[in-house]
Amino acid sequence: MSTLINVSQLTWKINNKYILNNINFDVCKGEIIGIIGPNGAGKTSLLRCLTNQTNLLNDKNLRGSIFLKKRDLTSYSSKQIAKHFAIVMQKNETIFALSVNDVMKMGLLPHKPLFAFDTDHDKTQILLALDKVGLKHEVNHNFNELSGGEQQRVLIARALVQSSQILILDEPTNHLDVYYQHQVLRLVKQLNLTVIMTVHDLNLASLYCQRLLLLNHGQLLADGSPTEVLTPAQLQQVFGLPCKQNIDPVNGATQVSFYLPEQESPSKKVMVVDHV
Amino acid sequence: MSKLALTFIALVLLMVLSVVMAITFGPASINTSELMSCLFATCNNSIVNSVLWQVRIPRVLVALVAGMGLAIAGAILQNTTRNPLADPYLFGIVSGAGLGATIANITLANSLTIALPLAAFLGALFSVLIVVFIAKVLQQMEQLLLAGVAVSFMLAAITQFILYFGEPFATNRVIFWLMGSLARVEMINFYVITSVLMLVIICVIAFHRQIDALLLGDDSASSLGVNVDKLRLLMLGLCAALTATIVAYCGGIGFVGLMIPHIVRHLIGVTSLKLILGSALIGAIFLIWVDVIARSSLPHAEIPIGIITSALGSLFFLFIMYRSRAVA
Repeated sequence: MSTLINVSQLTWKINNKYILNNINFDVCKGEIIGIIGPNGAGKTSLLRCLTNQTNLLNDKNLRGSIFLKKRDLTSYSSKQIAKHFAIVMQKNETIFALSVNDVMKMGLLPHKPLFAFDTDHDKTQILLALDKVGLKHEVNHNFNELSGGEQQRVLIARALVQSSQILILDEPTNHLDVYYQHQVLRLVKQLNLTVIMTVHDLNLASLYCQRLLLLNHGQLLADGSPTEVLTPAQLQQVFGLPCKQNIDPVNGATQVSFYLPEQESPSKKVMVVDHV
Repeated sequence: MSKLALTFIALVLLMVLSVVMAITFGPASINTSELMSCLFATCNNSIVNSVLWQVRIPRVLVALVAGMGLAIAGAILQNTTRNPLADPYLFGIVSGAGLGATIANITLANSLTIALPLAAFLGALFSVLIVVFIAKVLQQMEQLLLAGVAVSFMLAAITQFILYFGEPFATNRVIFWLMGSLARVEMINFYVITSVLMLVIICVIAFHRQIDALLLGDDSASSLGVNVDKLRLLMLGLCAALTATIVAYCGGIGFVGLMIPHIVRHLIGVTSLKLILGSALIGAIFLIWVDVIARSSLPHAEIPIGIITSALGSLFFLFIMYRSRAVA
């Protein structure tokens, strides 16, 4: 598989605190990569760097490089980056009554010059994308009135209209119930795109990602298949809780279950509250 | 034909009808047939001719473009700041214009016809520059509005301080000017406001997708390749220039930028092209008729137009509050 992104010695330090510390990895075309780790590990920061949000890579506190298709990411304009990366954010709230169609049209922006109006082809593209996520019938519905899962699916459809090769998702399953968590991630898997997403739920990450990156305190502790990354030793080091690795009898995926140690020290009690 | 197209056609017809009807209203009675013959053939009555071309037509046309401009400025500010309460007045534009007008009144009393609008324009731009500077330092939308309100109060305080110690005639002039009036407008004012208005509309059409992208948050817009800070500053600058031009000629006309986009959002839509075009049409119709009320409701006097828009605006506000309470 051809390398799409190359991250090399990426370090971001603010006030002597490492947000990211010497991160190195490659992303190949078609991979589905999950970034996991506790709160504050640097997951979202890494995503922001990968898409050079707010020209972050030119920040004086940031060292290292990111190459997209063998070209330095800083040499891409924000519009060019938007043509390569489609980003689905955690929070997408609007106080105005935007329709699903209005949200979908935003995906056309990187491909449209100034003054450009919508064409019939655009309308067809929007309906096709909504059809893929099963929401074609909601095209004129108010976006705010959709359920959290439906909103995520609309934003994934918007990413399809954006026709970028790489889909970035920041906690796509946050605030979703179990049914919608699986529905959204199954959809992401079926799109045949290169996907990089941060995921809190380790078992979901294992089920839907081919490769996991385990971050802790800004460092990349492990990079590999779910079985290689979700080892009890590594997870205990990161989350401060003992765990067991199992194979799910139904789908054959690597699963982990954490348990409380029999004798807890007061400091560990705090960690339990922090991470569970 | 779609419902949206029909709505726009109806609004354009209503606007043209409003212009024609508003021209016939006033102390000197001019009926529609006289108006039509003066407009499209030869005018038999020279008094009617001069009333039409020197008073009525400039006044109605300025009401048309001022209504459009104020409503559009409000609509742009609301969409770019994602705040339905954003209004050119909240950014200190009128207070700045008031301060400029006050200083011109005190210092340049002899050449006021040119000095007053020019000073008002400079004052308005000055206040916006302060707000934009604070916005650049703070980089937060919620605080941008608060900064606008703070600047507005500060400039109003300076104005009042100057007026308190100023000569009573100058004070009167400024106070009447701040109440807003279309009584002294000329065709040149219409041309100037229209030029700025066209520039703003062209820019909004050019950047409509970028402005729409802001509606789902700054991060979302920036992920779509929008340079959020630059776009917001450009739009704020355009709104300031437009409002300052209108305020310089017409004085303080409040609440149009707040009320009209609110109505358009319910009637037509929230995305910028629909909102700006709808606001232009409804804003024009609204201000034409408010001006008709201003000049025809009292027998031998005019009510300042700003008083009527403020009264209607505050009632409208209370109505919205009541309705949202009923929904909640």
